[in-house]
Amino acid sequence: MDKEKKRTYLSLYIWSGLIILVIFISLSKGEYILSFQELVRSIFRYHPNSDTDLVVFEFRLPRIILAILVGFGLGIAGSIMQSITKNGLADPGILGINSGAGAAIVAYMFFFQGLLNINKNSLWIILTTPLIGLLGGFIAAFIIFLLAKEKERLDSQKLILTGIAINSGFGSLSMYMSLKMKAQDFEMATVWLNGSIYNANWLFILSILPWFILIIPLIIRKAYSLDLFQLQEPVMIGLGVKVEKEKWLLLLCAVGLIGACVSVSGSIGFIGLMAPHMARLLVGLKHRNSLIVCGLIGSFFMLIADFIGRTIVAPAEISAGIILSILGAPYFVYLLVKARV
Amino acid sequence: MDREKVHAYAIIYSSPFLSIVVILLSISLGTMNISFNEIYNAFFHYDADNVEQIIIRTARFPRAVGTLLIGGLLAMSGALMQGMTRNYLASPSIMGVSDGAAFMITLAFVFFPSISSLQMVAVSFLGSALGVFLVLGLASIVKNGFSPLRLAIIGTVFGSFLSSLSSALASYFQVSQNMSFWYNARLHQLNNELVLLCFPLAIVGIILAISLSKSITILSLGKEIATSLGQKTLIIQLLTMVAVVIMTGISVSLAGKIGFVGLIIPHITRMIVGVDYKKIIPCSGILGALFLVICDTFSRFINYPFESPIGIVTAFIGVPFFLYLIKTKGGGNKQRG
Repeated sequence: MDKEKKRTYLSLYIWSGLIILVIFISLSKGEYILSFQELVRSIFRYHPNSDTDLVVFEFRLPRIILAILVGFGLGIAGSIMQSITKNGLADPGILGINSGAGAAIVAYMFFFQGLLNINKNSLWIILTTPLIGLLGGFIAAFIIFLLAKEKERLDSQKLILTGIAINSGFGSLSMYMSLKMKAQDFEMATVWLNGSIYNANWLFILSILPWFILIIPLIIRKAYSLDLFQLQEPVMIGLGVKVEKEKWLLLLCAVGLIGACVSVSGSIGFIGLMAPHMARLLVGLKHRNSLIVCGLIGSFFMLIADFIGRTIVAPAEISAGIILSILGAPYFVYLLVKARV
Repeated sequence: MDREKVHAYAIIYSSPFLSIVVILLSISLGTMNISFNEIYNAFFHYDADNVEQIIIRTARFPRAVGTLLIGGLLAMSGALMQGMTRNYLASPSIMGVSDGAAFMITLAFVFFPSISSLQMVAVSFLGSALGVFLVLGLASIVKNGFSPLRLAIIGTVFGSFLSSLSSALASYFQVSQNMSFWYNARLHQLNNELVLLCFPLAIVGIILAISLSKSITILSLGKEIATSLGQKTLIIQLLTMVAVVIMTGISVSLAGKIGFVGLIIPHITRMIVGVDYKKIIPCSGILGALFLVICDTFSRFINYPFESPIGIVTAFIGVPFFLYLIKTKGGGNKQRG
């Protein structure tokens, strides 16, 4: 077994271990503290009691699973974005894809739930929201790529600047629509826009799971083409890669994941930036090794951020998105200073 | 006299007239429309029992004048920053200056809840200085840090860092409501006394900016050229930063964070009056002031009868312009045209 493979397996074990540790901590800690015994009894259905069950299965577990999924999806999406744009700063949050998806979902909430008065927890709404997020994210990505194109080539500096602009544009659009909502919808929309999974339930997990099952195996199959994106475009064409087709397909996959994640968690930044860098540092440049590690790192950060946000000012909460940007910005500065990007 | 000079003089000489027009419009239009006749009476035959006249004197007129001031200050800070850093994207909101001010105000709310309005202005200065210091400090450490791309990224990241820190602190100490009151643009709640207090300070900032304008023109040719022309670039840069901190600090403490004015107005001004900062700085002050009053008036109608944050209006105009700038100028270190 070569060295990179070994490091990949080691990283997989370590990050999975860390995630399991954080899961246990966040299952037991909170406003209502559970002992280890109670927890084990409840999970393995050995003399369970209904109070513990309520806390574990209705409140904490869905939230934890959602955090894992969202972190995983955003981490992998970030890795794809960084590869196809050949730019280490291409985070879905900075590029404005998150806010595009967000604006589309706010519009959806506004027109369908606000005006037509459909119950916002109905199965239909919850299942279709990720699709709308996908649409919005794709519109944002399309605008960004269209504007950043210069003589058939993607200018990666323009890409990021355009992203910053698109980001604030969609941000104000969401704000404008959310201001026209009814008071309680507005409250929900603002909490959600800040990036929080506080109202997680099993239905949300159900609504985004198909996307993960559909997209992630496809991405892993495409890991080799992701590696090739590190080469210059003429070289790729010379190797027989259909560059444009692959690029759009991978972008569609990334946006699909982002759309699903944003639909349940709002805009969560910095995971898509940090996780791929750390994964690359740990297991090298091959995507076949780094993708899953990257996803696990993303899950870990999302779990930690949600746990901190949930407990630090209990009974109030700070959005996970806010915690992540406090944790993420110094890392970003570190990346810039080291000029790895 | 060349064309650009004519344009500059046209802007400067028509400014008193245009200001009066936009102020009158801003006073008369809104949730309740007020006739010009009533405005005239409010100033010259004041009747303390007339509701409309009271509204004019206590709410609409101070708001219009305050907005005029803030727009001018923001646009001038943007022009100063663009000239000094030779970066076409430099502006108070993109470079994290406003976020720095808002962050310090949050800290003040948390630790000194009984702080007076004037002290709040001072705190806001400190915060703007902190923002400028952080962003420019990091930009000077990072390789190629003053290129439009790097500076924009550093500013955006610091901005989101400081604002996240502010909102986390605010929810931790349960002052979120006061905080969001300061943070979001809130021209409709301009404090009359505060506007008056800020006027002398604003005049100091404006005089400083205009007296620096010649040196900024030289500095905008590049540091090497400026040094070889005998300019003490370090002093000029420091003074410019002082002017930016004063002007941005005032506007954030008065009205919270308003984006895009400091970015787009200097560019529009440059298109009209050319590349000489002796003309750009005063003219962008005037155009920024007029622009913000018009945006403010407009913001009362996009969600009628409710008012919308002015940031939405400036963003709807600013974002397309921003995209246009990126499209034409790219991310590299190209000299502006």
